[in-house]
Amino acid sequence: MSVHTEPPATPLLPLYVLGSRSPTWWGMIGLIAIEIVVFGGLIAMYFWLKLANPSWPPEGIAVKPLLLPTINTVILIASGVAMIVAKRAIVRGNQLVLKLGQVVALILGLVFFTLKIVEYSGYDYDWSTHAYGSITWTMTGFHAAHVISVVFKGIIVLLMSLRGMFRPDRHLAFEVSTLYWVFVVVIWLPLYFTMYISPRL
Amino acid sequence: MAESRYDGYGPQFSPPPEDYRPDPDLLTRTWGPLPGIRGFFAVVNYQVVGMRFIVTGFIFLLLGGIQALVMRTQLAQPNLDLVSSELYQQLFTMHGVTMMFFFAVPIFEGLAMYLLPLMIGSRDMAMPRLGAFGYWIYLIAGITLYTGFFLGLGPDAGWFAHAPLSSDRNFTPAMGMDLWVSAIGMLEISALVAAIEIVVTIFKLKAPGMSMARIPIFVWAMLVMAMMIIFAMPAVLLVTVAVGLDRMAGTHFFNAAMGGDPTLYQHVFWFFGHPEVYIIFTPALGVVSAVLVTFARRPMVAYSIVALSFIAMGILSFGVWVHHFFAVGIPPIGLSFFAVASMMVSIPSGIQMFAFIGTVWTGRPIVNTPFLFLIGFVVIFVLGGVTGVMLAAVPFNWQVHDSYFVVAHLHYVLIGGALFPLFAGLYYWFPKWTGKLLDETLGKWQFAIMFVGFNVTFFIQHILGFQGMARRVYTYDADLGWGTFNMVSTVGSFVLAAGILVFVFNVFWSLWRGRDAGQDPWLAPTLEWSVPSPPPQYTFLEPPVVRSLYPLWDPGAPDPEFDTAADRGERMRPQIRQDVRETFGTSIMDGEPESRVNLRDNSLWPFFAALAVGFAFVGSMFSLWFFPIGALLFYGTMIGWHWPFSKEIAT
Repeated sequence: MSVHTEPPATPLLPLYVLGSRSPTWWGMIGLIAIEIVVFGGLIAMYFWLKLANPSWPPEGIAVKPLLLPTINTVILIASGVAMIVAKRAIVRGNQLVLKLGQVVALILGLVFFTLKIVEYSGYDYDWSTHAYGSITWTMTGFHAAHVISVVFKGIIVLLMSLRGMFRPDRHLAFEVSTLYWVFVVVIWLPLYFTMYISPRL
Repeated sequence: MAESRYDGYGPQFSPPPEDYRPDPDLLTRTWGPLPGIRGFFAVVNYQVVGMRFIVTGFIFLLLGGIQALVMRTQLAQPNLDLVSSELYQQLFTMHGVTMMFFFAVPIFEGLAMYLLPLMIGSRDMAMPRLGAFGYWIYLIAGITLYTGFFLGLGPDAGWFAHAPLSSDRNFTPAMGMDLWVSAIGMLEISALVAAIEIVVTIFKLKAPGMSMARIPIFVWAMLVMAMMIIFAMPAVLLVTVAVGLDRMAGTHFFNAAMGGDPTLYQHVFWFFGHPEVYIIFTPALGVVSAVLVTFARRPMVAYSIVALSFIAMGILSFGVWVHHFFAVGIPPIGLSFFAVASMMVSIPSGIQMFAFIGTVWTGRPIVNTPFLFLIGFVVIFVLGGVTGVMLAAVPFNWQVHDSYFVVAHLHYVLIGGALFPLFAGLYYWFPKWTGKLLDETLGKWQFAIMFVGFNVTFFIQHILGFQGMARRVYTYDADLGWGTFNMVSTVGSFVLAAGILVFVFNVFWSLWRGRDAGQDPWLAPTLEWSVPSPPPQYTFLEPPVVRSLYPLWDPGAPDPEFDTAADRGERMRPQIRQDVRETFGTSIMDGEPESRVNLRDNSLWPFFAALAVGFAFVGSMFSLWFFPIGALLFYGTMIGWHWPFSKEIAT
């Protein structure tokens, strides 16, 4: 074989990569895409049922109160911010903030979940009262299931952090976990708009 | 930084060993299965999982076919009472559910799973455990559905189970619909995880140098199929959950008396339901393209336009769902929109057809069994497409809605568009999978019998539809005058079934007595034919690099500067370790080597996780409390699945 020039130097390939270079990250993006379709479908169902009914919420059911859910929304956003802070900390190698951020996020997630239970136990209708109850309870329940599942998953990731398993260049598990957490926070905003703001417009 | 015991899959960098050489024995140990019965449940290798999908899917094809034969026998003459009307309802529901969900989607996913790593030059799928998990859920779903059916509890509201018939216990008191909800729910999960796996594999595991412009057209088709699954199947998951909640928890999504709306069901279901047709049809087009290029002996005509037309068809198919229920009462503007969108689908389909014809026209075609099935596909599918354009016209649609015209149309589209290409693919890749060629004479007989049988069965159903015969009737009166045509159709269906029996016989005969295929019996252009048949468990002795669209026809020369992705990949090869499961991770667009990807090893956890999911879904037929319990079990299995420091990883 005729060699025209010397081949350029061959770099060493890394085993641990982050972000879009990692298949796992793309797998999480795929899961999020699926979930966006499901949540989008729920929102579409909500508005379809709203159009199919003469009054919405129906006679005898009051529009949901705004104060507690709004506070709760801020709490959920704060938990997402805490996760992002933790994510930025591990990139800089700050193990302490990594752990603290997660603990704060986990607590805020649990607070959100608890306040959701408080809010929904205050309603005098449930999913079998009317299609309005069916769709709002399902939307909330489905999202609350996501919150509790990211909390469960967060506990495992926190255990991994406590054992010092994340480094500035290797924290893929933490990165995709944060990605999903932020998704669960962000997807709440259209649900919040749909259930609490849109009936007042 | 010092290496600690928390070192996951090994050190970040792995300098190539001094005495690097490909070592088949070491690779076999690394990629082989575990011994014994544990190995059977723990295996994650794409060849094993892909073949399980294909074989299981084929068994469901046979089951669905038997149901069809029973129904055709019942309809052969007026006023027969071979089966009761209740059993007939279960039969047509099971036939549709089996063919749409348990045969067509999984078998093409299996095809993708088996062939993608071979075609793109990877050593496995990107998420091997997820593939195994998807298979186990699929199997559990199938067993659940058929157990119920054999116990006399089959679902009986049609495969699309329109509400409120399906969602209200007063209308369908039997457990069949709960069974439908559970089985479909599990199947959707299986399809979704397989779709994610397919997309990620195509994105990240292409061989160095294989840019998006160099992936085989088959891979394009599988990518579009997987994308469509990701955006369509969640809708049916949602709607089955809603039906389940209406039945089990007392919600009122589809109960008009309590503010719900049955039309909502149709919209959400068919938002999935129409893309579903293309989820089945697009991979079949991929098979057609692969087989066509090989036997026309020339590159695909208009490769990039065909790839674009797959994407266009995928997108358009999301805008046509209402044409499945034009008759339900839709505002005129909606009717017009969806009618036009439905007709637009014929544009990308037309492009593909002309590209196929152009490829054959300008090539030197070799007419053997796979090629004959392609011809059958073109003839039958074009006929189905023509009736499709007719059905897209709203006034015509109203006339033939829910008649045998629609039955004929959908079988022309699905059998012509999926089953014939599938057989082309099975004849084409069987030698790669088994090392044996399928018998050509039997193959040509099979094609002839199936082609005649199919057209005799279904062409006449167009006319029955015009004569007013509604679909799903379990019998009819003699004075309606449908007896003769129905008898012809029934005879045809048995001929069609005989063709499929010839195939089954051919498979066993060829495994026993078939000619040895060798590595590349067809002189084909793509990478799967560069390895022995059947492929070794590690697939490629050395990770391949790719310099052209048809690497086996035109390998391409190294760059004079040695400065392309393929050249870099060639020099980086020795870094890919052979003692752990590693393969190249490359960039999406250019196939530039980026990383060494560690693929997960054999594990029982996917099987346990599938059992947990099965526990939740099967249990939810009886009480919704099984769901949270199943979720907790699933959580436990996920920890085991993902815990990174199992003993199996040698660092």
